[in-house]
Amino acid sequence: MSKLHLILLAIAIAIAVGFLALPTSVMKSWQARFLDVSTPALEAGSALSDRISKLNTGLKTLDELEADNAALVAQNNQLRATNQLLSEAEEENKRLRAALDYRDRSAFKLLLAKIISRDASSWWNTMTINRGFSSNVNSSQPVLTAEGLVGRTTTVAKDVSIVLLLTDESCRVAARVEGTNEQGILSGRRVNGNAAPELVLNFLTRDAKLQPGMKVFTAGVSGAVFPAGIPLGTVKEFQARELDGQAIIEPAADFSRLEDVFVVLGSQ
Amino acid sequence: MIRTLVLFITIYLALFAQEFIPPAPFLDGARLLLVPALFCYGALWLPFPGVLLLALYTGLLSDFSLLQVDGNQVEIGLGWTMLFYVFIGSVLHILRQTFPTLRWEIHSLASGSVTLLLLLAQYLMVCLRREAFFVDGTVFWQIFGPALMALFIAIPIYFFLKLFPGGIAWRRSQDELTS
Repeated sequence: MSKLHLILLAIAIAIAVGFLALPTSVMKSWQARFLDVSTPALEAGSALSDRISKLNTGLKTLDELEADNAALVAQNNQLRATNQLLSEAEEENKRLRAALDYRDRSAFKLLLAKIISRDASSWWNTMTINRGFSSNVNSSQPVLTAEGLVGRTTTVAKDVSIVLLLTDESCRVAARVEGTNEQGILSGRRVNGNAAPELVLNFLTRDAKLQPGMKVFTAGVSGAVFPAGIPLGTVKEFQARELDGQAIIEPAADFSRLEDVFVVLGSQ
Repeated sequence: MIRTLVLFITIYLALFAQEFIPPAPFLDGARLLLVPALFCYGALWLPFPGVLLLALYTGLLSDFSLLQVDGNQVEIGLGWTMLFYVFIGSVLHILRQTFPTLRWEIHSLASGSVTLLLLLAQYLMVCLRREAFFVDGTVFWQIFGPALMALFIAIPIYFFLKLFPGGIAWRRSQDELTS
């Protein structure tokens, strides 16, 4: 290596070290700008990927479409009937709450978002959605599906956001087990590979009476990102350890088939 | 010049393209990584200043896509991948002088090795940050699987990039050999 090469190498190392010394907030804002610039490429990739998966699925026959339609009509009627019953129950609930002078519990405002891409890295479970601060999305907002919690937003750009999935080891949620006083911290595993992702609920009491099939919800402790009562999954197994108990949880949301999600924007 | 431009543009596009490639079920869900194989081509072919520029460019793009900011904590901050590619690029530049010409076999071996080292370094950093280290079959395949796939994907990448005119960089390295 010549002297000039060594000087150039030193300059390159200095530039890299300079980036390393940047404050976290600057790193985050630069990443958001990078996402802004890359949004067209991400959306084009997403559209192409959708087309390819549609080609793979193939076209349905008229009979299959008719069967699908009949099933959807039946489901629609059932949901309308359930909705009607629930509306009546909600009205009754409101009247009773007013009679008892309870504080009105507001529902959450949800924003529909489409998943653009899933992270290709091996060590982090993240995805990119097509909503950003132009749609009032902020960092650390819960993301869910009709089945349960999916994760929370981290870096938010103008029209896209990164979501840290519940299956990631670094996404920790305060959780409680239905029908018990048990509370713990839920997180994902470091790597999942081919296997369906599992969650781990730590710091339970050693003699907790947990049975497979028990439902787990967000605990909603004060100052937490996640409000109380969002389904997280069901208990698969429980094991007592030396100091505490640990439960393996099957996630409520199907992470292999995520397409559309909702971002919880706040109270309505 | 055209090949250099194509290389820089392809690295940018590959960064997003690899997010849409599904994981390989036969390698325990390992992902195909295109960027390290593309970088290796540049590191073995460009003159040294070009290698450094490519290392900073590839590292910065990779860092932007890898950066996980959780509150005020960052697991692998901006700059680490740049530093990694600068180091690897310099090593590859020295190693290439032992070969008379750039061949697809060299590029394939380099791509596999660089992918392996990159994932190994990332995993070690994640373990250090999370203060827990373990290795099981899945972790093994998440590191060796992409490296194995890089050995094969490097071959079409090599022949694709050779389609574009760009003999200047290689001639320079030949001059380095004879001087």
